[in-house]
Amino acid sequence: MDRFAYILRRLVQAIPVLFGVTLIVFFMIHLVPGDPARTMLGVHATPKRVAALHREWGLDRSVPEQYWIYLKRVLHGNLGTSLFYRVSTASLITGRLPVTLWLIAYGTLLSIVIALPLATLAATRKDRPADQAVRAVPLVGLGFPPFWLGIMLLLAFGLHLGRLFPVGGYGNGFVGHLHSMFLPALTVALGISPLLIRSLRASLLQVLESDYVTTARSKGLSERRVLARHALRNAVVSTVAVLGVNIAFLIGATVVIEQVFALPGIGQLMLNSIFQRDFPVVQGVTLVFGIMVVLVYLATDVLHSLLDPRVRFD
Amino acid sequence: MAIAVAEGAVDEVAEHRGGFRRRWYRTPAFVAGVLILGTVVAMCVAAPVLTSQSPTHQDLNHILASPSAKHPLGTDQLGRDVFSRILYGGRVDLRVAFLAVLLPFIIGTTLGCVSGYYGRFYDTTIMRLVDVVVAIPVYVLIIAMVFVLGPGARSIYIAITFVGWVSYARIIRGEILVAKRQEYILAARAAGFRDGRIITRHLLPNVVTQAIVYAMSDIVLDILFIVTLGYFGLGIQPPVPDWGGMIADGQAFLTTNWELSTIPGVVVVITALGLSLIGDGLADLLRPE
Amino acid sequence: MKVTAPVVLLVMCLVALAAGCGGSGGGSSGGSGGSAGTPQHGGNITIGWSAEPQSMDKENVFDNQSIWVLEQIMEPLYTVSPDGKSVKPWLAKSVTLSPSKTTYTFHLRPGVEFSNGKKMTSADVKFSIEQTKATGSQGWGYLDSAIKDIKTPDPETVVIDTKYKWAPFMADIALFANGIVPNHYGGETAKEFYTHPVGTGPFMWGHWTHGQELVLKRNPHYWQKGKPYLDQITFLTVTDTNTRQLQLQGGQEQIDQFPDWQTVNTLKSTPGITMSLFNSTRTDYTMMNERYAPLADVHVRRAISYAIDRNAIIKSVLFGHGQPANSFMPPQVPFYDPKSPGLQYNLAQAKAEMAKSKFPNGFPVQMLVGAGVADEKSIAQIYQQELAKIGIKVTLKPVDPSVEFSDEQEFKYQLGLSYWTMDIADPDELVTFAVVPSAGAKSFYTDYNNPDVVNWTHTAEKTFSASGRQDLYSKIQAQAAQDAFMVFMYYSPYRYAYTNKLHGFFVYPTGNFHMEDVWLSH
Repeated sequence: MDRFAYILRRLVQAIPVLFGVTLIVFFMIHLVPGDPARTMLGVHATPKRVAALHREWGLDRSVPEQYWIYLKRVLHGNLGTSLFYRVSTASLITGRLPVTLWLIAYGTLLSIVIALPLATLAATRKDRPADQAVRAVPLVGLGFPPFWLGIMLLLAFGLHLGRLFPVGGYGNGFVGHLHSMFLPALTVALGISPLLIRSLRASLLQVLESDYVTTARSKGLSERRVLARHALRNAVVSTVAVLGVNIAFLIGATVVIEQVFALPGIGQLMLNSIFQRDFPVVQGVTLVFGIMVVLVYLATDVLHSLLDPRVRFD
Repeated sequence: MAIAVAEGAVDEVAEHRGGFRRRWYRTPAFVAGVLILGTVVAMCVAAPVLTSQSPTHQDLNHILASPSAKHPLGTDQLGRDVFSRILYGGRVDLRVAFLAVLLPFIIGTTLGCVSGYYGRFYDTTIMRLVDVVVAIPVYVLIIAMVFVLGPGARSIYIAITFVGWVSYARIIRGEILVAKRQEYILAARAAGFRDGRIITRHLLPNVVTQAIVYAMSDIVLDILFIVTLGYFGLGIQPPVPDWGGMIADGQAFLTTNWELSTIPGVVVVITALGLSLIGDGLADLLRPE
Repeated sequence: MKVTAPVVLLVMCLVALAAGCGGSGGGSSGGSGGSAGTPQHGGNITIGWSAEPQSMDKENVFDNQSIWVLEQIMEPLYTVSPDGKSVKPWLAKSVTLSPSKTTYTFHLRPGVEFSNGKKMTSADVKFSIEQTKATGSQGWGYLDSAIKDIKTPDPETVVIDTKYKWAPFMADIALFANGIVPNHYGGETAKEFYTHPVGTGPFMWGHWTHGQELVLKRNPHYWQKGKPYLDQITFLTVTDTNTRQLQLQGGQEQIDQFPDWQTVNTLKSTPGITMSLFNSTRTDYTMMNERYAPLADVHVRRAISYAIDRNAIIKSVLFGHGQPANSFMPPQVPFYDPKSPGLQYNLAQAKAEMAKSKFPNGFPVQMLVGAGVADEKSIAQIYQQELAKIGIKVTLKPVDPSVEFSDEQEFKYQLGLSYWTMDIADPDELVTFAVVPSAGAKSFYTDYNNPDVVNWTHTAEKTFSASGRQDLYSKIQAQAAQDAFMVFMYYSPYRYAYTNKLHGFFVYPTGNFHMEDVWLSH
């Protein structure tokens, strides 16, 4: 019961958080110089044309007034119209969200596939060569810039080692997505797995060296089962924790990866809109981004508390 | 929450200061890390001795040159000596990355202590603040900074501080939530010790180790952040050389002169390796017997 | 932690290096993409390019990506010739000019249909041009401002009267913005219409998934019988140049627009790829804001112009694919003067000019650079080094592209990089933009004002004799060069890499291309 109350409380608290975020971003992006009208018109901008676009877009009013209008619209579920693409912001976002979600989900899955066996190997053969090798991976892996890694993978697997994968792009259909998104997802996975390996190994070690394992062994239970039951549970706890904490970083990393692999995702949309000062889209994506992050953090905390009995709510 | 617990935090919280000096040279990870990082730092500091080339002088008639006696690592797209740019760039990047970690560390640890120890209202407020900060897209922030303060190191420090304290706060808070229920702490409170003393003398020394370990990987993350900013043209500005700018510049040449991006990339990886080894070593060292 | 970690590190680096090593292409020269045999019908192609189009509203849109797409759908009465210097009949088969030189009678080509099967008539032409004109100075209408009225005596004839003698008129009519659409937008509002425009062009609207792809399909009613050869064109936005190139090499794209300069030579020798450099009207300049005191001094500007080694920039930034500019007008424009005395690299002269100026000991100056724009970053750093030799200290001010434009247009800059490509086959649009301070751009945002040059510009607009106009434009170019109101840097070609199975692909000096001529060999 006390958990439900907590969740409810957090959700209610999320509202002022989102309000705060959109407020801050709105004012930041409007007060920073750079005019979407001039960007759109480029060399052909004249004061008259610029003024006309400003009128059309409602940019000729004061910033607080614009925020008020924006707020009213959002409360009616209207995220406005993109200044550049002239279609509704909501349609742009819903069109691109699946791509980014695919990337994050696929990447997370791959990272677990990579990290779990390696961490298990390391934990069960602690301090021996296998362990050392596995411990080296995070140390080296953390230093690679994602965009560089992405291009290297493209060069290697998309081109030179036999054109196994399409060079960028999202692909068509479920299988098409699996194929096209493999390299970008791998880049994401290689980026997070160092952290995951480290924490999985640590928690597995904890379990292996802990009391209930010794007890279980003394009771004659096979090591495999012991490992499986307790270790797995702790592993899930760690994974959830690491991923949850890093979700914001993850979403940020997808911006670069989307650029390299030409994926029409939300990260790319955000970046282009910031550079073009496409205000409605920046606001819309910020809101969506904010909601995602808040929900993921909440889910992480709750899941964690469900799985780890030592944690209590204040 | 108990993220830190999952990270392999200590179960038994025993005081063990003094163990550090005793064992450091016997911890291979720590030693290796210090050696690697030390070499990198030493080379950057000794740059004027190691190379006579200027990192900013352009020789437009000898761009993209192969390694030679004069240019041990060749030249870049504007004819500048790559080796000297690596050394001088290292000075900039290492300095920025190290300094950028300090404020978030201090602010985050402080807020984490308050949040974890006092709980209730303080906890709620600080954690909601964490939510807000985390939800703001970093790139909007950095562009705003670039406008207000101009591009370059200063904006980077401020942006990193604004966003970076969050991880420390969460880690410390998690540690304290668990640690404050330990018997000896409860005893101290019962004995009437002041909160401040309990926090600084008893809790902090034990929980701060996680933050220090994290700080090592945070420096690595900062270096990567600077590099990624360079990719978008918002990082350290020319003509000041820096590894991020070199990787970003070289990115356009990935299919023709891949070494321009790879060499600084490898240097970043090696530096990161050194830092991570130190972090691992510290984690080993500061773990109780 | 002893031995294994460094070994692992080494192995990983080697893998990475191996991946990179295979990079530069080698082998026999790629096949030629020129006219090779008879055109074959059928095939879909994908064009990979660097930016997303904004909209198909030809009356109001200014970015090249949008223009190059909508030109495949909507066509004008006349169109630019392949050398960029004149116009040739297109939807109109001929035109007669009255002796007063203010009335143009167009005879429309018979049998032209829109992609929905309806015949094109003079009513459609009148509507289309009037709509564009009505946008006034907000859209492209300003180029139609010389038009007084349009009459349609019969379905195949259009008569246009101009308010005054206007030499650039035929070039203006050939502008894409004057393309022909159905009368009254076929019953829709302009906004609705332009989400799926209908025209007489070789391709018709398919669909547009924003941020991903824009697809055009073959128009079966196209007036050039037998064309287009292709069934479908997909325009794909791929911002990363490496990815674009790899997609071409991997067969996912057939055309790669604007590969990086440093990859041009590699692509030339990659089997299966044709790397073409087309003559263009692109000219790159450095703008000097005369509102900043030192730059108002003509000797300072001349010194800066003399101090820049254009060949060095062309070699290191363009990898040799360009030539120094001697005029603010490019060679592909009518009335360009090859003898125009644009200042070229001469360090001694640069120092002499500085000595003659009011700032003989130099001065500090700020240069705007677009963040993330690799070429601009390199050029700006070269400027830093070269201007330092005459005592001018350049600090770089990197700003994101949105700010770059705004700042330049609001004169909040000192030195800035810019360029121009022609939209029409007539110098007037560029010249007015560049040297007339009362025109919208205030002399390319420099405030340059030379009354003689302004007078010559206005006179040239009313002069119909070719030699007369040439004379005037030569004078304008010579004076502009003496005044060094901008640093004329270089002319560079349009670069496209495409599969050698593609033929007939040609890029006009105005930057556009006629996809109806393109075919794939199977």
